[in-house]
Amino acid sequence: MKLRVVEIQANIMRKNDALAAALRARFAKSGTLVVNLLSSPGSGKTTLLEETLRRLAGRYRIGALVGDQATENDALRLARSGAPVRQITTAAECRLDADMIGKALAEWNPGPLDALFIENVGNLICPAEYDLGEDLRAVLFSVTEGEDKPLKYPLAFNTSQLALITKIDIAQAVGFDRQAAERSLRAVHPSIEIVELSARNGQGMDTWLELLARRIESKSLAAV
Amino acid sequence: MHELSVALTLLDGVSEAALRDGIERVTAVHVRIGALSGIARDALLFSWDMASAESIAAGSELRIEDVPVAVFCERCKRERSPAPGTGLLCPVCGAASPTIVRGRELQIVAMEVPA
Ligand SMILES: Nc1nc2c(ncn2[C@@H]2O[C@H](COP(=O)(O)OP(=O)(O)O)[C@@H](O)[C@H]2O)c(=O)[nH]1
Ligand SMILES: [Mg+2]
Ligand SMILES: [Zn+2]
Repeated sequence: MKLRVVEIQANIMRKNDALAAALRARFAKSGTLVVNLLSSPGSGKTTLLEETLRRLAGRYRIGALVGDQATENDALRLARSGAPVRQITTAAECRLDADMIGKALAEWNPGPLDALFIENVGNLICPAEYDLGEDLRAVLFSVTEGEDKPLKYPLAFNTSQLALITKIDIAQAVGFDRQAAERSLRAVHPSIEIVELSARNGQGMDTWLELLARRIESKSLAAV
Repeated sequence: MHELSVALTLLDGVSEAALRDGIERVTAVHVRIGALSGIARDALLFSWDMASAESIAAGSELRIEDVPVAVFCERCKRERSPAPGTGLLCPVCGAASPTIVRGRELQIVAMEVPA
């Protein structure tokens, strides 16, 4: 059989990137700050969000979208804060994509939001590829995960503007090496902002909340 | 881990291009996959066979070109290839380089079709 070659030259992420751009335009209009939280399973995303929603309640209108492969437990935990929360059950998919966010928003009516948090599926590989239209991508890693985590998942850390080192309350007990962690973070993203915190004992929470408040304010100003 | 959805998106791209050119059968597809994309080669090959099974690309061969990571080192003012597992450090001067030049590719390059 004679064959010929037909050039295509298409980026597989093109569709997701276009949908993400549409989401970004929509959130720019509504002045909603969108935060995409990435981490391995168990780094503390839901716990941090629970604490964040609780502490910002009354001050800002905040909603949360939670991606999980199977259960709705995280959404139930977050809903206790009283904030509008919606679960996206991704089944076989190991990450959220812009299409899932768009569809969830279409079926959900959280009212006007100052900030929308997206808890991505616990995974540091796949979610890194998918732009969700967020303003801030924050990657969490806990003091128990090994200081070289960023070296193992360079793209997740390279594409995040903020690294949250979580469970700092147990840093000493597990012999966490702060310098080594910072060195590996800087090796994949020299200018990444780093915040150490604990949702358990509250350490570092003020720094995180102030950083959020600043971003929420400037996003809503830009929308007017 | 998202190889199946990548394979399905690949198939969309291939089907679209084939439809545009009136092509009815595809025997091979060439793709470029960056080392940072987190795509496992074997899983993608397997997913491709599944995804393409009942399409115009059924039984086609997926040819994967692996693209190694390259960064632009600001200090050397040159493109460099970091060693795997060292983050994105310049292997020559040790500077960290935030600018990824290559290694994130997820691209369909071409397809082979009966002449
Ligand atoms: N010591 C300590 N444990 C925490 C902290 N944050 C979360 N955890 C625990 O870590 C586990 C996983 O937390 P979770 O929020 O569900 O992680 P997720 O999978 O990233 O959403 C739970 O047992 C939490 O109680 C923290 O700041 N300090
Ligand atoms: Mg969770
Ligand atoms: Zn260099």
